[in-house]
Amino acid sequence: MTAAVLWLAVVSAMAATDASPPQARAASPRPAADRQATLQLAQKALAAGNRAEAKRLLASAAERFESVEALLQLSRLQSEDGDAAGALGSLRKARAAAPNSEGVLSAFAQMSLAAGAPVPAILALESLARICPTVAQHHYLLGVALMRAGDMPAAVDALRVAERLEPDRALTLVALGIALNSGQLYADAKPFLARSLALEPENVDIVAALAEAEQGVGELDAASAHAQRALSKSPSHATANLVAGLIAMNQSRYSDARSAFERAVAADPQSPKAHYQLSLACTRLGDTAAAAEHVEKYKQTLREYESRVKALRAATGPMRDAPPKGRDPKPRESGKQ
Amino acid sequence: MTRALALLASSLLLAAPSRDGGFRDITQAAGVNFQHHAAPEKKYIVESMSGGVALFDYDNDGRPDIYFVDSLTVDTAGDPTKARSALYRNIGNLKFEDVTDKAGVAHPGWGMGACTADVDGDGWEDLYVTAVGGNKFYRNNHDGTFSDVTARAGLAASGWSAGCGFADFDRDGDLDLFVSRYVKIDLQQLPQFGRDKTCQYRGIPVQCGPRGLPGESDFLFRNDGGLRFTEIAEQAGVADPRGLFGLGVGWFDYNEDGWPDLFVANDSGANFLYQNQKNGTFKEVAFPMGVAVSQDGAEQGSMGVALGSYDNNGRFSLFVTNFSEEYNALYHHEGAHFTDLSFRSKTAASSLPFVGWGTAFFDYDNDGLLDIIAVNGHVYPQLDKVKLGASAGYRQRKLLYHNRGDGTFDEVAAQFGAAMMEERVSRGLSAGDLDDDGRLDIVINDLDGSPQILHNEISEVGNWLIVRLKGKAPNTGAIGAIASARTGTVTQKRLVQSGSSYISQEDKRLHFGLGKAAQVDSLEVTWPDGTTTKRENVKANQVIEISQSQSPQ
Repeated sequence: MTAAVLWLAVVSAMAATDASPPQARAASPRPAADRQATLQLAQKALAAGNRAEAKRLLASAAERFESVEALLQLSRLQSEDGDAAGALGSLRKARAAAPNSEGVLSAFAQMSLAAGAPVPAILALESLARICPTVAQHHYLLGVALMRAGDMPAAVDALRVAERLEPDRALTLVALGIALNSGQLYADAKPFLARSLALEPENVDIVAALAEAEQGVGELDAASAHAQRALSKSPSHATANLVAGLIAMNQSRYSDARSAFERAVAADPQSPKAHYQLSLACTRLGDTAAAAEHVEKYKQTLREYESRVKALRAATGPMRDAPPKGRDPKPRESGKQ
Repeated sequence: MTRALALLASSLLLAAPSRDGGFRDITQAAGVNFQHHAAPEKKYIVESMSGGVALFDYDNDGRPDIYFVDSLTVDTAGDPTKARSALYRNIGNLKFEDVTDKAGVAHPGWGMGACTADVDGDGWEDLYVTAVGGNKFYRNNHDGTFSDVTARAGLAASGWSAGCGFADFDRDGDLDLFVSRYVKIDLQQLPQFGRDKTCQYRGIPVQCGPRGLPGESDFLFRNDGGLRFTEIAEQAGVADPRGLFGLGVGWFDYNEDGWPDLFVANDSGANFLYQNQKNGTFKEVAFPMGVAVSQDGAEQGSMGVALGSYDNNGRFSLFVTNFSEEYNALYHHEGAHFTDLSFRSKTAASSLPFVGWGTAFFDYDNDGLLDIIAVNGHVYPQLDKVKLGASAGYRQRKLLYHNRGDGTFDEVAAQFGAAMMEERVSRGLSAGDLDDDGRLDIVINDLDGSPQILHNEISEVGNWLIVRLKGKAPNTGAIGAIASARTGTVTQKRLVQSGSSYISQEDKRLHFGLGKAAQVDSLEVTWPDGTTTKRENVKANQVIEISQSQSPQ
């Protein structure tokens, strides 16, 4: 999902509300009118195709009137123009102006997530989840952000809350299933994935995740059927190919396994699991050179993954878990949302 | 595999065991008052990892005796007498006598684990104790006492040793010794409790390590005869120059070429499988053999190791205990390689909440199929102060897996007595028949306080056979020998091991569950030198001894 697409949901939710600090609005009726006029001018400039002028006007409104709405609109334009840093900068200013605004925090978190920065997203979403504990979306997004940071146990906790608050949302169910799969809790994952598949029968990510859970609990026929179903729609799907490879390994079809793992590696070159399993398939086929090569790639991706997660953890502050017993986190497949 | 197991089931015709009795904690009644010492808060990792337990017959009376390893703490490190390891003599009828002081094995220092073997070939088992700051080698004096001959033998080692095991890796007839080492630690400069994010868990300060701390290399001591050893790990290729955190050790000939290979469980790193090259060196093959990491490529926090042919396929599979949120790994030996069957065997999911340590394959109901036990306990006492989610707390119950005979296991601890479910902080474990009733008992060393002796009182079990092997000197304990017991069309294999489980020593007598079979049709021993001894029609329900020197070959 692109930053711009994510952004649409945020801004549409906020379109009717100016999130400027209440005290600023109450104390300054005239500036409020000026602000509104400036925002309208920006809209006109945008409608005329003059994005630069629109951004200038919004920046001006943000500075003169401390308008959070202007900052949000500005960040949207920046995001659409590929200026993720600028967009996040605008949202940081909005957050400074309205630190407890649900809309700002949500926008900031989603923008951070879309920009591949789960740590600030986690911090914003944790605040949101405390401020609005009954809003399922905040817990869902917190779970997604935690998954991307590699903290699967905490992700499961957040997603379980989201699922309790909104039991029949396919996105939440599949995220929870994937997080549980990542923690190797396949039996726990299966019912959530089955429910999400009932809600979205054509979703290839759900079919593949269900195949993974079934493979984990040893239901190989069902796993194979679901993996093939996913692959018929998306032949390069990383998870579906991994499952197909594992099933082939179980059946000593090492050549098929190797092909499937090669497709999994091609789809997700950063997956230590795919490289590791590919090395095993190569070993079984007697191709020791390729096996050694993939062991090295496995080690490299593992170290890269660990470094990534370590850096993320270092930035999240003391509220987040350190890896158990000082261990680096395990290489787990991130959810595909 | 399935056909073989089906044949076994039909030939043994064994009914499901009665759970009556189960495993009963007889520690106090047996006269065992040992207490393992550990600092209450475990502020340093060195206070969380001890200790092992050894079952061995030090007085040659035919009964397994028990040695519990004790440890010091940072506060008591300066005074070795503050820790008292203990030797308990088995005097029969499930009674034990504390003979520690007479034996002279009370104070090996900051003890970790133990392994035993008749190292000097005099027919009496000697004792090796791993420790922090120097190991101890106690030579058996044949009179109930031991002499500390560590320095003379050149077996002191340095740093923080953990696992150990004797084997004749060079097949020169005498026993060599491998010692795994863990974290490089300076007691004067310990990493500060909770000092940074690698020393925190769920937002609270905990001990640091092992990640973030430097690891230690490992040792291989070659027996040069005359009770002298030379350290050759580097030239043999088993030194682990990267210093992974070595713990459990298992010697076994995985590729059946007659030369002992070596598995080393590494905490927070890839495990090692060293293939013996038959020329004094080893080649590390854990990755291609499929036993280095988990199925998803995760380097697990591996602690203990068990070896067993649980499906009677004639090969020894590996069971490795791991940290919480990791699964205990069952690596099935398929001939050319191992396959991680943890989830398919249904042993994985139940282990995820627990931090696993001592473990064993053992046939507790004598049905001819090896079951599995694993004992657990966390390393952070601070855990009990925080929300844990699905993870277990500091004190944890045991896991007991009943072998269903179809490649899968049922976790049945709750059916076998309160002692199995009691939450404790366990470490070392050893299996053996303490009273020669044919039912395997369990001895466990805990980190905090008293140990557990769990007497197997399952009322309906199958027939059995216990075999004591006596090898040619100097390896009189027949370390590395394999006994194969054929009943009908099924053959069970057992291996004589020095060093197993989590830094522990299991009873070297070999136990076979026989189900309804009244005899073993054929019992064949393959000695470490490759010679064999065969017995026919061996009656069930007895302890027998087979001697290499007196046997027709």
